[in-house]
Amino acid sequence: MSRDSNYDHHISIFSPQGRLYQMEYAFKAASSASGLTGIALRGKDTCVVVTQRKVPDRLVVPSSVSHVFNITSKIGCLATGMIADCHSAIQRARYEAADFEFKYGYSIPPAVLAKRMADIAQVNTQSASMRPLAVVMMIVGVDEEKGPQVLKVDPAGHFLPFKGTASGAKEQEATNFLEKRVESIPEYSFDETVRTAIVCLGSVLGSDFRGSEIEVAVVQGVQGKFQSLTEEEIEGHLNAIADEND
Amino acid sequence: MGDSAYSFSLTTFSRTGKLLQIEYALNAVANGRTALGIAAVDGVVIATDKKFASALVEGGDVSKVEAITDSSGFVYAGVGPDYRLLVRKARKSAQAYFREYRETKPVGQLVKSTASVMQEYTQSGGVRPFGVSLLVAGIDGDGVPRLFQVDPSGAYFGWKATAIGKNYVNAKNFLEKRFQDDMELEDAIHTALLTLREGFEGEMDGHNIEVGVVSKSDGKFRLLTPEQIQDYLDEAN
Repeated sequence: MSRDSNYDHHISIFSPQGRLYQMEYAFKAASSASGLTGIALRGKDTCVVVTQRKVPDRLVVPSSVSHVFNITSKIGCLATGMIADCHSAIQRARYEAADFEFKYGYSIPPAVLAKRMADIAQVNTQSASMRPLAVVMMIVGVDEEKGPQVLKVDPAGHFLPFKGTASGAKEQEATNFLEKRVESIPEYSFDETVRTAIVCLGSVLGSDFRGSEIEVAVVQGVQGKFQSLTEEEIEGHLNAIADEND
Repeated sequence: MGDSAYSFSLTTFSRTGKLLQIEYALNAVANGRTALGIAAVDGVVIATDKKFASALVEGGDVSKVEAITDSSGFVYAGVGPDYRLLVRKARKSAQAYFREYRETKPVGQLVKSTASVMQEYTQSGGVRPFGVSLLVAGIDGDGVPRLFQVDPSGAYFGWKATAIGKNYVNAKNFLEKRFQDDMELEDAIHTALLTLREGFEGEMDGHNIEVGVVSKSDGKFRLLTPEQIQDYLDEAN
């Protein structure tokens, strides 16, 4: 049955070369489904996530269009990919974080949450009954011992900690931009972290934007809360960037 | 494991009597990064490279070599997320063993139960085989150093020295030439590093390889620090 298997394209079984096509397709869906690019960066004491806010219709309430989510008050996530799958993954992440705190009596560290979400994602690549979710999650938070962290979880169940990373349509260009600054990124102040992330997004999209066209969310310090910046705050950073360029 | 929606096995016999999903899983392993192990008379060493796709990755705490009990550890070649599942199950089973017998689970038992899990996934409904081969290194209470390989089929083999993953044929030839039955752990570590270097692209240093060691002297499985690895590399030069 396996030799004639075109099923290796349909469910999570190996192809003759040892590849998992469903998993690879899930990656493609996660990158291109929404057409958005997202960036996550961590500085000395701050984590930031930035992405575009593409409102499909003028009648849509803009604040309802978002790929940035709180998992706990201190851990946030930028989920790129198919929005329904994103909602499902976030819901599960919120449950896992709450369950951890209930069982063990302290808040879940970001890396532990990322590992848990990655292990859950792996199950879908091995079991035929559910397809992998087309979501790339960038989980950010400030760990008490390790400081600010960015962890990327993908449909294959891989997860890695990053100094800075990107996902979505322009992932490669954004990553190249960040790699050039890899030495200095871990020392960035709050403003430097936020502004570098915004500049990175601007440079790969090749255009400027207004405060209403991007989402920016930050968490600073061990006591900090993960919160989205208001439109005014984003405009403030955009103005500061424009001034620096003049 | 094996959800009710798929109550039939996905791994079935072909007309020629082969289990093709297992063969394909072995291909996935052969595409993975090289890992190797050597069993010396007074210890075991396992090693692999630690390369990330980007300089932006914070690789400090990420590792492929994992301790399972105090005196044994795993390394793998193949699909990383599948490996994490096996590590988790192995640790849990080792802990359950300790709870029942108040003794550390012996390497042979660990290998058998992990192999059994891997075999189940070749026969249960709705799941595919694991895309990893494991190298298991450890020392039991009897002081005998042991190295085992476990394949996606659930078959396991004891080795004096072996390699898995990309380039494993060359690595095994290299090991065959250099292995001696009376080899000591220090020599084994050097040989392991030389073998890794054969297929290594670029300059090897303490930060882009991982080495796990268990020595007869204290019976503890530990990872060498980047500084220790660098010392061995400097000696080899």
